[in-house]
Amino acid sequence: MKLIDTTLERNVKPEDVRSRLLILSFIAIGIFTILISRLWFLQVMGGQMYMELAEGNYIRVIPVDAPRGLIYDRNGQVLVNNRPSTGVSVSPQIAEKYPESLKKLSKILGMSIGEIKEKIAEKKVDPLKPRVIKWDLTDQVLAYIEEHKMELLGVDIVTEPIRSYPHGTLGAHILGYIGEISEQEMAKLKDTGDYMLGDTIGKTGVESIYEKILRGEKGSQQLEVNASGRPLRVIKNQDPIPGSNLVLSVDLNVQQAAEQAINEAIQQAKSTGKPENGANADAGAAVVLDPRNGEIIAMASYPTYNPELFVGGISKQDWDNLLNPDNKFPLNNRALMAYPPGSTFKPVTLIGALADGLTAKDESFLCQGSWDGLGKKWVRWCWNHSGHGRLGLVKAIYDSCDTVFYIIGQRFYRQGEERLQYWAKIFGFGSITGVDLPMEAKGRVPDKAWKKEFNKGNPEYQRWYPGDTVNIAIGQGDLLATPLQMASFYAAIANGGTFYRPHIGKAMISWNGNVKTEFQIKPEDKHELPVSKDMIRYTQSALEQVTTQGTAAAAFAGFPVRTAGKTGTSQVRGKEDFAWYVGYAPADDPKYVVAVMIEQGGHGGSTAAPAARKILATALGYYDKGAGSNIYDPSR
Amino acid sequence: MDLRSINRKIDLTMVAAVLLLCIYGVIAVFSATQSTSLNGGDPYFFLKKQIVAFAIGLVILLALLFSNYNKWKNYMAFLYVLNVLVLIAVFFVGQTHKGAQSWFQIGFFQLQPSEFSKLILIVTLASFLANRKSQLDSMRDLLLSLAHVGLPLLLVLAQPDLGTAMCYIAILLGMMLVAGFPGRHFAIIILAGIIIAIVGIQLHVLKDYQIDRLTVFVNPDNDPKGAGYNLLQSKIAIGSGQLFGKGIFSGTQTRLQFLPERHTDFIFSVIGEEAGFFGATLLLLLFLVLIMRGLQTAVFAKNLFGTLLATGIISLWLFQILVNIGMTIGLMPITGIPLPFISYGNSSLIVHLMGVGILLNIYARRYV
Repeated sequence: MKLIDTTLERNVKPEDVRSRLLILSFIAIGIFTILISRLWFLQVMGGQMYMELAEGNYIRVIPVDAPRGLIYDRNGQVLVNNRPSTGVSVSPQIAEKYPESLKKLSKILGMSIGEIKEKIAEKKVDPLKPRVIKWDLTDQVLAYIEEHKMELLGVDIVTEPIRSYPHGTLGAHILGYIGEISEQEMAKLKDTGDYMLGDTIGKTGVESIYEKILRGEKGSQQLEVNASGRPLRVIKNQDPIPGSNLVLSVDLNVQQAAEQAINEAIQQAKSTGKPENGANADAGAAVVLDPRNGEIIAMASYPTYNPELFVGGISKQDWDNLLNPDNKFPLNNRALMAYPPGSTFKPVTLIGALADGLTAKDESFLCQGSWDGLGKKWVRWCWNHSGHGRLGLVKAIYDSCDTVFYIIGQRFYRQGEERLQYWAKIFGFGSITGVDLPMEAKGRVPDKAWKKEFNKGNPEYQRWYPGDTVNIAIGQGDLLATPLQMASFYAAIANGGTFYRPHIGKAMISWNGNVKTEFQIKPEDKHELPVSKDMIRYTQSALEQVTTQGTAAAAFAGFPVRTAGKTGTSQVRGKEDFAWYVGYAPADDPKYVVAVMIEQGGHGGSTAAPAARKILATALGYYDKGAGSNIYDPSR
Repeated sequence: MDLRSINRKIDLTMVAAVLLLCIYGVIAVFSATQSTSLNGGDPYFFLKKQIVAFAIGLVILLALLFSNYNKWKNYMAFLYVLNVLVLIAVFFVGQTHKGAQSWFQIGFFQLQPSEFSKLILIVTLASFLANRKSQLDSMRDLLLSLAHVGLPLLLVLAQPDLGTAMCYIAILLGMMLVAGFPGRHFAIIILAGIIIAIVGIQLHVLKDYQIDRLTVFVNPDNDPKGAGYNLLQSKIAIGSGQLFGKGIFSGTQTRLQFLPERHTDFIFSVIGEEAGFFGATLLLLLFLVLIMRGLQTAVFAKNLFGTLLATGIISLWLFQILVNIGMTIGLMPITGIPLPFISYGNSSLIVHLMGVGILLNIYARRYV
C-alpha cells in the first residue's frame, strides 16, 4: 500500500494520499464554517450591540449649558442679567502636583494659597473638573496669566456667561441665588433628566421656583475622539435652547422704596435709644401687593445680601458670614416668616364677631384701661391705661382698644366652638398662601388640639384657657402670621372681599420672537370670602379712620390720598416689641396694600406706619415729605 | 493559446483568487493606515510599500513558476543550513521590534527572516519526508522529523517569536498527516505539547503577559484596558460592521485608531468593520477557493514531494487564517500572526506570493 517506488522516482505518491488530503479539506471546511458562523454571531446577531459600543467609543457628547433666562420687573427693567466674565480656573489634580503654579497664581490674584485651595476643595462633584478660582479678571491679570502660561501648569482662562445683578442687593430675597446642584436636588429632579452634577440651579427665590422656565434646554456637542480621547472634529452641534425670560410683578421703584423704607425705619427706631421704642431694631420686612389681583409689587427683607456672592460658588468665608447669628441671618426672607401679628389681627376678630353675631356694629363698650373679665387674678391692660371710656367698634379699631377685643375674645371663648380660629383660617392664617416663592411659613392659628399636641411633654400646659382665646383676639399669644399673610388679608378687605393667591411671576418671554405669555390667574387662585360686603365696608371705614384720627394718624398726617390701615405692636417673649403696620391706599380705590414689620422696632404707629407711608407714596407716584422724624404712637 | 489551454497549464482560478485577495488586502491596508495622516504622517506610506512588495512578490512568483520544483530537493541540505544560519544571524544583526529580534533592515525594506524561513522549512521538510525510504511509520521517522523542525523552532522561540513557532508546528502536523504518519505519532506530539506547556508555565518560561495574551480571548472583559483591550476593540469594530459594513474608508474604529496593529495583525477587523458580514465572508470564500485549489494541486502533484510541498503551503495558510481571523473575533489567542495576502508586511506578502508560485509550478507540471 504505502509503497515507496525506489526504481524510477523515489518519491512517487502512495495511493492513499487522496484520502489524507480529503481529511485536510474537511479540516479546512470546518475552519471556514466556524469562522463564518462566528462572524454571523458577531456582526448580524450582535451587530446592533457592537454598533452602540462603537458609537460610545468614538463619540463624546459634551453638554452645552443653555443661557439662563433674564429676570425683569413689571416695567421691563432688568433685575437679573447674564454677562460674559473671564475667570481663571485651576485643575485640581495638577494643582496637587505643581504647588509652584499655585504659589505664582496666589501672587497674581492677590489671594492666599489657602483661599485658592479652599476654592478648589469646594467642588462637590467631579473632583477632577477644573474649578474657577476667580471671576472678572482685570486686563493686567489676564495678560500676565496668558504670558506666563508655561509656568502656570493646570491654570486656564475661561469665559462664561455669569449671573449679574445690576441693582446689587436689590430684591435679593425675591430673586434668590443660584448654585451648584446638590445630590438631593439631583435625586429630586431625576425625572427631569436634564440635570447633571456640576450644573447650576436656582437655589432660592424665583430663581428656584421658576427654574424650569429660566433654565432652558442644554445643547450638546458631539465630538469625534480618537483612542486617546483627543477631540478630532465636531460631528454635530445641537445648540442649547436659552431659558425664557421671566417678568415679575415687582416694580423696581417700589421695591427700592420698600427696601429703603425698612432700612430707614430700623435706623430711625435705633436712634430713639430706648429699647421699648425700637433701639434694638435689627431686622424687618415689607410686602406690597396689588389688592386687585394679588400681584406682589415689592417684597423687602432686612438685612439683605448680594446674590452675586454666589456666582461661581460662594466662598466659605462669605457663607459663614451669611450664617453667622451676629449678622441676623440675611438669607432669611422675613416677609415669609411668621411673627405674632399684634393688633393688625384685630380686623379678623372684628369681622368674625360681626359675622357670628357676637357683637353688632352699633354696640358700645366701656374701656377703663384694664379688664378683669377673666377674674380679678387675671387683670389685663389696655395699652391706654387711662382707658378709652365708652366707645364703639370703629373706635376700638382706629384707636386699637384692647379692652373691646378682650371682651369679644371672651365671647368667642364662651360660644364654645373655636369660631375665632375658624375665621382666622378663613382669612388665610395658619396655612401658606401658596405664593410662588420658596420657604413660606404657615404661621399658626392655635386651638385646643394644637395646644395639647404642642405641650405633649408638659401636661399642665395642655389645657385651653379662656385667656388663650382672648390673646388671639388681639393678635397675641401663640398666634403667628407672616407679613405676606397679613398683606393678603388686608388686600381682601381692600378689594371688597376677594382673596387672591399672592404671586410674583407675571409673565414669561420666550427667548425667540419675544413672545410674552402672561401667567393667568387660575380659579383656585382666587376665592370670595364668605362675609357680607356690608361688614367689609364697615371694616374699611374703620381702617380708614386709623389713619385720620387713630393710631396711624400722626404717621399719615398730610398724606395726599385717602388711606386705610392698622397698626400693631406685638409682644415676643425675650424680645422688645415688634412693630407692624398693614394698610392700603387709596382708601376709596385701593391699588396697593402694604404690610410692614420691624423686629423689635417698638410701636407700629411710630416705626412701621411711617415706613408704610413712604412705600405707598412711591407706589402711588406721589412726592411725599414723609411723616417727619418724631412720630410717637404708644398703642399696640 | 486560448484561455482553456492556458488553464490547463496555469490554475487560473487560483490566480484569480490570489489577485482578488491581494487587491482586497491593498485596499484594506490603505483604509487602515490612511488615518495616520491624522498624526501628520504620509497617508500613502504603507500603501506604497505594500504595492512595491506586491510587485516584487509577483516577480519572484513568476521566477518560481518557471523553475522546476523537482530540482529543489537537491538543495535541501543547503537550504536547511541557510535557514538556520539566517535565524541565528537575526540575533546579531536583527532589529528589535516589540521585544522580539526578528528584522533585517535592507535599504527601504524590513525583511523578516522568520517569514521566509516558514517557506524554506516547507521545502526542506517536504524533500526530507519525500526522500525517506521507509514508510514513515517508525519512531525514528517521527524523531527525525521533529528534529528537522525542532532546530529552527528553538531558534524562533528564542527570538522570541511564538507565532512563527506555532506556524512551524502547523506545517509539521499538516505534512505529517498527508505523508502518512500513523495516528499514534500525532497523539505523542499532542501529549508532548501539553507536557511542555504545563512545564513551561510552571517554570515561568512564558512571561505573565504572554500567558495573559494567550488566555485573554476566553474572557476579554477580565482586563479590558490591558491585554483584553485589543480584542474588545476588535470585536467592537467587527461587530459594528453588521451586515453590510460601514463602507470602505468609513470605519470609525479604524480611522480613529481604536484598533491597535490595525494594518497588520488586526487587518481583518478593518475589513469586518468596513465591509460587514458580506465583505468578510467574501474574503473567507476567496481564501476557501485558494485552499481548495491548493488541495487540488496536492492531489494532482506528480510526486510525493510536490504533494507535500503543496500540503505544507496549504497548512501554513490554513493555520494563519484560522489564528489571525480567530483572534480578531475572539476564538483564538492573540498572537502576532499576519493574515496571508491581506496584512501589511512586505516579507509576508512576498513569501505568500512565493507559495502561490510554488503551487502553480506543481500544478503546471502535474502531467510532465
